[in-house]
Amino acid sequence: MTLLVSICIGVIFAVSFYLLMGKELKEVAMGVFLIGHAANLGILAMSGQPLMVVGSLVEPKGPPILGTGRPMVDPLPQALILTAIVIGFAVVAFLLTLLVATYRRTHELWIDDLAAEGNPAFLIDGATERKNAAA
Amino acid sequence: MLMTWIILLVATPMFAGIATTCFRGHVSAQRFIGVAALITNVMLALSWLLQLGPGGVFVQQVGGWAAPFGITVAFDSLSGICLVAANLVGLAAYLHSFGSLRPRTEKGWFHPLFHLLMMGVNYAFLTGDLFNLFVAFEIMLMASYAMLCIGASREQLAQTYKYVILNLIGSTIFVLAAGLMYGMMGTLNYADLARIVANMVYAGDPMPTGFFAVSLMLVFVFALKAAVFPLWFWLPDTYHTSPIAVCAMFSGLLTKVGIYAMCRLYPMIFAAPGVREMSDNWIPIVLASAAGATMLLGILAALPLTNIRRILACTLISHMGYLIFGIVLLTDASLSGTLYYMAQHMLVMTALFLCCGLIEIKAGTDDLSKIGGLCKDSPWLGALFLVASMSLVGLPPFSGFYGKVLILGEGFGSGGVFNWILTGIGLLTGALTLLVMAKVWSLAFWMPGRSVRNSSSYPSAKLIAAQTRPGYLAVTLLVSASLVMALGAGPTLRITDRATMGLSEPASYINTVFGRTVFPPSIAARIEDSRARRLASEASAQPTREEAHR
Repeated sequence: MTLLVSICIGVIFAVSFYLLMGKELKEVAMGVFLIGHAANLGILAMSGQPLMVVGSLVEPKGPPILGTGRPMVDPLPQALILTAIVIGFAVVAFLLTLLVATYRRTHELWIDDLAAEGNPAFLIDGATERKNAAA
Repeated sequence: MLMTWIILLVATPMFAGIATTCFRGHVSAQRFIGVAALITNVMLALSWLLQLGPGGVFVQQVGGWAAPFGITVAFDSLSGICLVAANLVGLAAYLHSFGSLRPRTEKGWFHPLFHLLMMGVNYAFLTGDLFNLFVAFEIMLMASYAMLCIGASREQLAQTYKYVILNLIGSTIFVLAAGLMYGMMGTLNYADLARIVANMVYAGDPMPTGFFAVSLMLVFVFALKAAVFPLWFWLPDTYHTSPIAVCAMFSGLLTKVGIYAMCRLYPMIFAAPGVREMSDNWIPIVLASAAGATMLLGILAALPLTNIRRILACTLISHMGYLIFGIVLLTDASLSGTLYYMAQHMLVMTALFLCCGLIEIKAGTDDLSKIGGLCKDSPWLGALFLVASMSLVGLPPFSGFYGKVLILGEGFGSGGVFNWILTGIGLLTGALTLLVMAKVWSLAFWMPGRSVRNSSSYPSAKLIAAQTRPGYLAVTLLVSASLVMALGAGPTLRITDRATMGLSEPASYINTVFGRTVFPPSIAARIEDSRARRLASEASAQPTREEAHR
């Protein structure tokens, strides 16, 4: 199970980095969407029984809030993930809004063309052809 | 008891943000609320900072849960210095925006975003645990993303994407590192982390596997925020395109939040006494090399530029190197110098950017090849710019000098060829900064006028006067604050010394956060304590050990 989750996290990270390196903003937005999931899954994989480090020893302790000795899943990482999900949600919403605003204003969703306008130094060969090919 | 309500520093900008949202469209009401909130925060932070005695910390547990589990906010001398400087910078940039921002932009969401950004910054300085630092960063970044697209010109949008994506990757790494740190240490509270790390060192245990890797991830995130050498490329471009008040505020606040986080965590956790000397701890050497490269390459990048904003952005990056160098040296005097330098750098850098805004209003451009002779019609601006740039360079009567002298003096004093090389780079950088700032000042102010302004396409003198009046007030405020720091260097350095004491000897911080003595103040007692703890846990927890490792 641990192996499976680790592989999942690795694959999601790889896919999201591939998307983030794309030249089209929609791909980048999907990359942002995925990378948050990868990080959250990573935290979930880290969590387990609540642990406490004493000296060199790692020993289980009760959940911090209930204080019963019964072993149960550590609630704190899940709280962290919930917060991170909410924040990630807001960020993706912002990014998509920005995407729409950019498209309305410039009719461009290719980052090279966007940067090239007004600053020819940024013009990278073939950006326009690639866009035409994709269209 | 007002004194323990330190969360007010976060609540005030939050309420200001909400109130300015409600008053959207009524610019004068928004301005009034905003200025009132910012002045309240400066006053609160300053009075609490002056009340703190040696080793004093104000702590508040939000929600009432006890220390390592609840949300801790702590106000010690380090947070205090940063908060006072940050709110002053915020106030000045806010005042400047009244004149320099286009009315259409100001009628939009500028005011609420500004206060929400201040809320994030203040929370980052106050919070007592790693996860809330992440939350504070996100509040701050969310507001900054939106502020960067204010006006939304095409160029600006392209730069916004660069900034947004880079910071998103940074945030993801931060949240992952926080999760890994929790999995490793079982806590995210700074005080608890510092205690656990110190106990491990005194018990002679190695750090958990991957501790340094996770620490390096965190250092990466903070370095990205602070625009340290390999991660600085986003800064000049984004600062180039945004409205000047926004850009000045970013220069003063956002980069310094990264430095603050490093100041807080590096001496207590990443390079705590004993941890720093471990053979697999690569963080000091990585950071020191980054500091040297940042100082030198930043200022070299500034040399050939002719655009004042870009020059200032590059000097800003270069001076991040000094701060990192001061942190890496990790002696009491160098840390104290770093804190002093950080506070004055916030004030001075923002003042310079705001001056640049005034130049843009007056001359219509910030391109050095097109302007000149500004000293004739605005001598006061010339004087302010000169004082601010000499403080930046670090010439003796001005405030930059004291910080630099402490950092570089410690660099020489601490020995080792590597430190000497870095100190040499620091001195060279100082000289080059002098060259750059002298170039800017003489070209813009001193050279005979070749102002591009012509009567048809530029506003009347009366309009210019109205636009620059709040800006003058803002710059004068910042420059006089930096002069106060310079003239009152003795008392200011006493405060930074106190902050340094809290970092190098964290017992009082830890015990105040916990509300009871969990960490003995003397080192001998600490070693004894960790030995006893270890024996006790070995006796009791032997059977569960394998279970836990599984």
